[in-house]
Amino acid sequence: MQFLAPSLLLGLAAAVLPWFIHRIGQRRANPVRFAAMELLLRAERQVSARRRLREILLLLMRTAIAAALPLVFAKPYTEVRSDLPAATSRPQAALIVLDDSGSMRRTRASDSTPLFDRARQRARSLLANLAPESDVALVMASEGTATPIPEPTADRARVLAALDAATCSARRADFTGAIRKAVQVLTSARRPERLIYLITDLQAVGWEGGTGLPDASGEGGAPPPAVVILDVNEGAAWPNRAVVNLTAEPAPEAGPLGVAVVAEIANFGPDPVSNLGITLRFDGAPVAKGFVELPANGRARKRFLHALGAGASVREAEVEIDHDRFPLDDRRMTRVEVSRGLRILVVDGDPRTVRTEDETFFLEAALRAGGSSFAVTTALPDELAGRTLAEYGSIFMANVARPSADVAGALIRYVETGGGLFISVGDKVDADAWNQQLGRILPQPLGLKRTASARPGSGAEGETVDLRPAERLAPFDRRHPLLAGFPPRGDGLSSARFFQFMLLAPAPDLPSRSVVLRYENGAPALVEADVGRGRVLLLTTTVDREWTDLPIRPGFLPLMQEAARRLAGAPSGEAVAALTVGQKREIAIGADDRRIEVIKPSGESRWLVPEPRQSDGKPARSVLFAETDEPGWYRVRGSHTDGSQIDRSDDSFVVNLDTRESDPATLPADQRPDRARAAAGGEDNAPKRRLELWHLLAAAVLVMVFLESVLTIRFRRGRFV
Amino acid sequence: MAVTTSQNGGVGGARRPLALNPLDLARLASLSVRARVIVEGAFAGMHHNPNAGTSIEFAEHKEYAPGDDIRHIDWKAVGRIDRYYIKRFEDETEMRTFMLVDASASMGYKRRGLTKLEYASYLAAALGYLLAQQGDPAGLLLFDEKTRQYLPPRSRGGHVRDLLLALEGAYPAGRTDPARALSHVSELADRRSLVVLFTDLLDAAGTVADRLRLLRTHGHDVALFHLLDPDEVELPFTDLTQFEGMEPDDARRLLTDPRDLAASFRRESLALRERWRMTCLESRVEYLFATTDTPPADVLRSFLFTRQRARK
Repeated sequence: MQFLAPSLLLGLAAAVLPWFIHRIGQRRANPVRFAAMELLLRAERQVSARRRLREILLLLMRTAIAAALPLVFAKPYTEVRSDLPAATSRPQAALIVLDDSGSMRRTRASDSTPLFDRARQRARSLLANLAPESDVALVMASEGTATPIPEPTADRARVLAALDAATCSARRADFTGAIRKAVQVLTSARRPERLIYLITDLQAVGWEGGTGLPDASGEGGAPPPAVVILDVNEGAAWPNRAVVNLTAEPAPEAGPLGVAVVAEIANFGPDPVSNLGITLRFDGAPVAKGFVELPANGRARKRFLHALGAGASVREAEVEIDHDRFPLDDRRMTRVEVSRGLRILVVDGDPRTVRTEDETFFLEAALRAGGSSFAVTTALPDELAGRTLAEYGSIFMANVARPSADVAGALIRYVETGGGLFISVGDKVDADAWNQQLGRILPQPLGLKRTASARPGSGAEGETVDLRPAERLAPFDRRHPLLAGFPPRGDGLSSARFFQFMLLAPAPDLPSRSVVLRYENGAPALVEADVGRGRVLLLTTTVDREWTDLPIRPGFLPLMQEAARRLAGAPSGEAVAALTVGQKREIAIGADDRRIEVIKPSGESRWLVPEPRQSDGKPARSVLFAETDEPGWYRVRGSHTDGSQIDRSDDSFVVNLDTRESDPATLPADQRPDRARAAAGGEDNAPKRRLELWHLLAAAVLVMVFLESVLTIRFRRGRFV
Repeated sequence: MAVTTSQNGGVGGARRPLALNPLDLARLASLSVRARVIVEGAFAGMHHNPNAGTSIEFAEHKEYAPGDDIRHIDWKAVGRIDRYYIKRFEDETEMRTFMLVDASASMGYKRRGLTKLEYASYLAAALGYLLAQQGDPAGLLLFDEKTRQYLPPRSRGGHVRDLLLALEGAYPAGRTDPARALSHVSELADRRSLVVLFTDLLDAAGTVADRLRLLRTHGHDVALFHLLDPDEVELPFTDLTQFEGMEPDDARRLLTDPRDLAASFRRESLALRERWRMTCLESRVEYLFATTDTPPADVLRSFLFTRQRARK
């Protein structure tokens, strides 16, 4: 125990006061010559033991009170081991980042309290320990979650209420973004000392973008806020098991409506797992059960074959394994489309005799792959005139030189009446002809062909490196429905290289047009425009390997399939129909739909009304649903103008947990923002913190004074009857 | 204020108009006046003439022996048991009274009012005055650990004045030894007498009870006036007090907060009185307890009333 004002300990001499007063009191006793001494001594013998005990008790209590008072004024404290730094007790601007990501819903082996509840309790404890003058803000760490207290406030009740109201989401963590947001919030803080308290299970997921802290020089030369990590998991082992992938594909061997459901189960623990129960359900009813053997820190696949009965074209498949401490990732869902019936016309502008050199080789392969069930028809440009374009959900024009006037007119009508047109360019394309014939529906006029000047990057190991200079795609906005299925870093697209592409002529900004993808040099790569009731996508490079290696990249297939669906206004395929928590879902509005109802897994309903477009004031053709907070099935119903409601099973979608939340790997020590700062010579976050004892001691003194009073009154009243 | 009596239930007399309290009595000029006032106060309202006592009273039977007056043969006894018994009578006016007053140092305690010795003197003076009025010889024995002064019982005129003078001159000193005083009286009283002892019985030896019993065995009437100061009943002190013994060579000391002891002290005091009351009851000794704030007339009346009832 140490003291803030040790000089006041001199007052401990006052501890002898009660004894001194006792002695003085004895000296001041009245002398009385008394005859009945015998009676008096007998009476004394009866009560002497109890009285002596009482006197000793009172003397001790009074001595303790007299000794405790200077102790209280000397402000004693002790240092206790804690995650809270000593700075906690100093006035400061504190920002609490509370990890509310999906992994915080798990429990530890030692108790059944979810980690999020422990984190919230830790936050309350932190609030209680902060100096009263401190300002506090609260930020949630999961991606896309609103900030409860966006500015530092001294109103603790408000912060506590926000903590009480906080719930654990199923979203993935985004610590980089949360700390970045925290730094931004703290820039407006009044207090010079700024600390970020991150209360988390220290999962490595969410730190992909770095620590989120600015450079030490910071804005205006100010040092960045200190980060303190409070680990609520306390390093406990988490041998998690999770269903990390679920796919469904046609299985002719199981019959005409046979389907193969393949689940991938991961074991994140150091011990192998045997006989792990796994159940397949269709539309909520279990149809198959089995067991799976999981190697240590490995994965296993389980393939179920099931013959679907006649009925709905969209079925709900769900796989669930035996529950562990994190049941949220023990199940995964997907939708199985029995027949989509979407017809696609692919116009090959550069046919070749060698199939693999054909312009549309990769495009057709992508559209037909993976049980997409698209009905793909390939035609030459000349054959377009004789076809009824309205039969097709979408049309892909690949490197078509110049459309004839008839074809152009047909295409314009097709698009303006609700059709979807995908245009990719190439050596054959006559930009002027296109601009002239189809300028009305092109998102932007075509310009000059451009050869990339950037130096090629080195390819991945084993990859054939094309030494031509190439452009790459810039980071893209995953909020666009077309890209919602892609991971944040754009795996599968970001590795693609573009050796040649076509520039687009400048055009005024229109709300109906958006650039979906750009090259690193800023030039548009994929542009989308709403035209009439239809939609056009313009890719400024080829769909074969002549100008780019995009067709051999993993992202090409989902990009083309999603483009086909988006253009057709069809429900999204696997990539989009199976969203992860937090992703947005665009739902097309039918001609008769007045509004859309989305029923969440919890049974709650949300009504979405199309907003008028800024371009022409007409209602948008789609609505965006953003509340995909919980894994499960989201059902969609359309409400018609005549009041009727129609189930739109094709638009229903499933939301799964982001599989990265299942990974128990913890953030390496050298990547922790708090350790990094300490290593860089910043303030060391001591594992001990000061615990002031004088409050406790003062309370004890009050209790002792009260007890002394009670005892004195009681003894005087009772007087040993 | 307390007065109790044993042997016949006693009388707790309500105060009469003339039953002055001790402090009022102390304001009167002399002990003789005080004695007279006490006596008058004692008899006020009793409708009893103190001068109309029985002249001859039966005392005992004695087997007839040659020389006895045959007028006193109890013929009824002869008829019942066929033996001759002589009825013996005692002339009350001839009954001698020994008043034993404890003048030890402990009798000098007072905080307010009278000392126990003063109070005992008032009672003895009143009793002496009353006996003189009746023509009874009364003697006085002042004692501490030994007999300090002795006035033999006489009924001549002027004897009561000597008695009162002796009482007025009494002072508290020395240790107490009532047993020795009782032994002394036992030797002095050659025929049936009334022995009245005034003492506080504090620090009294156990032999006192034996001496009382012996006196009764010898045919004497014995009355014990147990006198205590109210402080010795209640212990009403409120401050830290250093208590010291009063009698010589008493080295007992006690530093205490009397409030702690009050309840226990009351129990001890009551036990002391109860013990003596039972001892007297067993020995057929008349026991009267009084505190020094009780009007002496009430105590005297109680005593006389008890004796009157005992005769009937």
